[in-house]
Amino acid sequence: MPSLAQLLESFPETHDADAPADAALSEMIDSTALRPVPLGRMRRFGLLGTLQAKIAAAYLFYWVRGWFTSAAERERLLAETHWKSAARVLDSMSYLRGAAMKVGQTLANFPDVAPRAFVETLDQLHYDAPPMHWSLLAEMVRNELGDDPQQLFARFEQRAFAAASLGQVHRAELRSGEEVVLKIQYPGIARTIREDMRNLLLFLLPSRLSKDWESVKAQADDLRRRLELETDYEAEAATLTAVRSLFREDDGIVVPRVHSQFSTPRILTMDRIKGVHLDEFVARGPTQEQRNEVAKRLIRAWYRMMYSGRLLYLDFHPGNIMVLDDGRVGLLDFGMMLPLNDELWTLFHVIDRALTTGRREDRIAANEMWCDVDRDAWTADRVEITDAYADWCWRARYCGGEFDFGDEADFREGVDLFAKMAARRYTRAKPCTPVICRSQFGWRSILYRLRAKFDIRAIAESEVKATGWDRSDYL
Amino acid sequence: MRVSAETKQATRDRILRSAQRLFADQGYDATTTRDIARTANIAAGTLFNYFPTKDAIVASWARQALDDATEAFDLEASDVSGLEEDLFSFVALGLRKLKLMRKHLPALLETSLSPLVTHDAGDGPSLRVAQLEVVAKLAAKHGHGEISTVALQMYWSLYAGLLTFWSQDESRKQEDTLALLDQSLNMFVGWLRNNGAARSATNQP
Ligand SMILES: Nc1ncnc2c1ncn2[C@@H]1O[C@H](COP(=O)(O)OP(=O)(O)OP(=O)(O)O)[C@@H](O)[C@H]1O
Repeated sequence: MPSLAQLLESFPETHDADAPADAALSEMIDSTALRPVPLGRMRRFGLLGTLQAKIAAAYLFYWVRGWFTSAAERERLLAETHWKSAARVLDSMSYLRGAAMKVGQTLANFPDVAPRAFVETLDQLHYDAPPMHWSLLAEMVRNELGDDPQQLFARFEQRAFAAASLGQVHRAELRSGEEVVLKIQYPGIARTIREDMRNLLLFLLPSRLSKDWESVKAQADDLRRRLELETDYEAEAATLTAVRSLFREDDGIVVPRVHSQFSTPRILTMDRIKGVHLDEFVARGPTQEQRNEVAKRLIRAWYRMMYSGRLLYLDFHPGNIMVLDDGRVGLLDFGMMLPLNDELWTLFHVIDRALTTGRREDRIAANEMWCDVDRDAWTADRVEITDAYADWCWRARYCGGEFDFGDEADFREGVDLFAKMAARRYTRAKPCTPVICRSQFGWRSILYRLRAKFDIRAIAESEVKATGWDRSDYL
Repeated sequence: MRVSAETKQATRDRILRSAQRLFADQGYDATTTRDIARTANIAAGTLFNYFPTKDAIVASWARQALDDATEAFDLEASDVSGLEEDLFSFVALGLRKLKLMRKHLPALLETSLSPLVTHDAGDGPSLRVAQLEVVAKLAAKHGHGEISTVALQMYWSLYAGLLTFWSQDESRKQEDTLALLDQSLNMFVGWLRNNGAARSATNQP
């Protein structure tokens, strides 16, 4: 195997711009919900395993260098050294490999939209825990729950039933007869990840920041904190319980119940949801009616969490959505939620006005509040593009009536607008913006995938009531 | 007066139990042999006949714990995925038995745990040899044939390193030790596999 130094030397001198930036970006956004991340040019290099991480590192380095082309030679060398150290750090983080690869691969594609794309790809970070054999798993159960799995449970499946990013998922049956799943972390991975993430960001972000980069740094830090939260199963259990209480039997939405006597920061035990993942549901060729029903339930769940729970569900992903035989919809994975604090809540109220009236001036007011940019930075072009994007996001809602979420042209329009915004570096915004944008594309891609047609405004209106907002002057 | 073997064993056990209690209550360093003798209701001189030093008490205790583990371990277990897993079960079981004395293990690094010791002060092969016998059996069970002394030496270095790490592991419920064990065994078995393969390759005519 070649050394990292050799790899760093061997990568191409010039960038072959075979993929226009926005086409590549739309591919990336698609991938968050429509299919596994495309390997694209990585696959063309025929690379596997650990080598991928190194190549990704080399690409990142390449990108950093390109970004200094106009700068003095000295500064460029500095950036290169900086990057080489980062590559070395990266090389030692085996479970971040998948993530590093994605970061590298995406950034290599967008030399000109880097800062935003940087955060966007970090946002897709997925950890890759090593597999645990049964002896290790049983030892973790003993360590965490104080007894052998065979003693604690009526039945415990030794083979993992699914992979989780920090470990694996096993099926079991409680002595009381309930069927449950246990999500179990690889020992010590949570803390290692926290430390490594810090190091990674330290290396990746330049030390002298321009104004735009400062905003990027804030966004990246926000992301880091969120990803760290994802490593805490106790926090996830608390969220699950809070969210579960928001739904009633007749909502047709299932959120697994946590069994707290079998849960710790490392093990999360919850009811097993018996159904199929969204992908499989779609593959079975359901009718338009059935697809609409699933979509409506999902959207109701999303609004319920937002308006009654003040929680934004961020991880819209087909793997986190299950459809039960009776048509009910199950939601999984509450590791990543954004609590709407007072500041965001006020902002959401301002957005509600724009969502309700559909007036351009209301949208612009909301955008200005969100983006937090100096007055003189609001050029006509910036106003135009951010407004077009906001209009795309909110159109279905203010228009009301049946909206066709399966319209490909409409979906592409949103992706293109987003790519345009990123390409022009209109990147300053609240730190949580990347995750919110991702969740926006997340649920839109799910509805697109379901080719759903329904009236989203009607659902929203019945849910917004819970906020108690005074909407009298715009309703 | 001749002391019967049973009485002897009973006294030994009593000393060990007293020592364990004192180590747990007041710490290893603060416990003197005199304290132990008093708690065990014997004369200090008698204690000396059984255990010349405090370390010898710990060594004997460790030996007993690991013998218990070896006895409880199912060498024939068939539902394991490979040598890594079998070894993991074996070591993890030992750690569980050693739990109470975790912090005192470094005292043994130069005695019972040393790669140079082949026999314990008392009788029979050393703690190390007893452990390595199981490792060799497991390696044979998983098709690695007769394992070389180099390989056993390497295993022992990893194992002694693990115990040392464990004695100071401050992570939640010492989970870092489990990760270290998992990774050490992967490394060891990987090495065994490659090395075995390399050897048979050079043996080709
Ligand atoms: N309550 C449940 N009932 C049935 N299956 C479940 C349940 N919880 C998790 N699973 C299965 O385990 C998989 C991983 O779970 P989950 O998404 O919660 O883990 P994760 O660590 O957040 O993984 P990732 O970050 O990769 O989505 C799910 O896609 C699903 O197949």
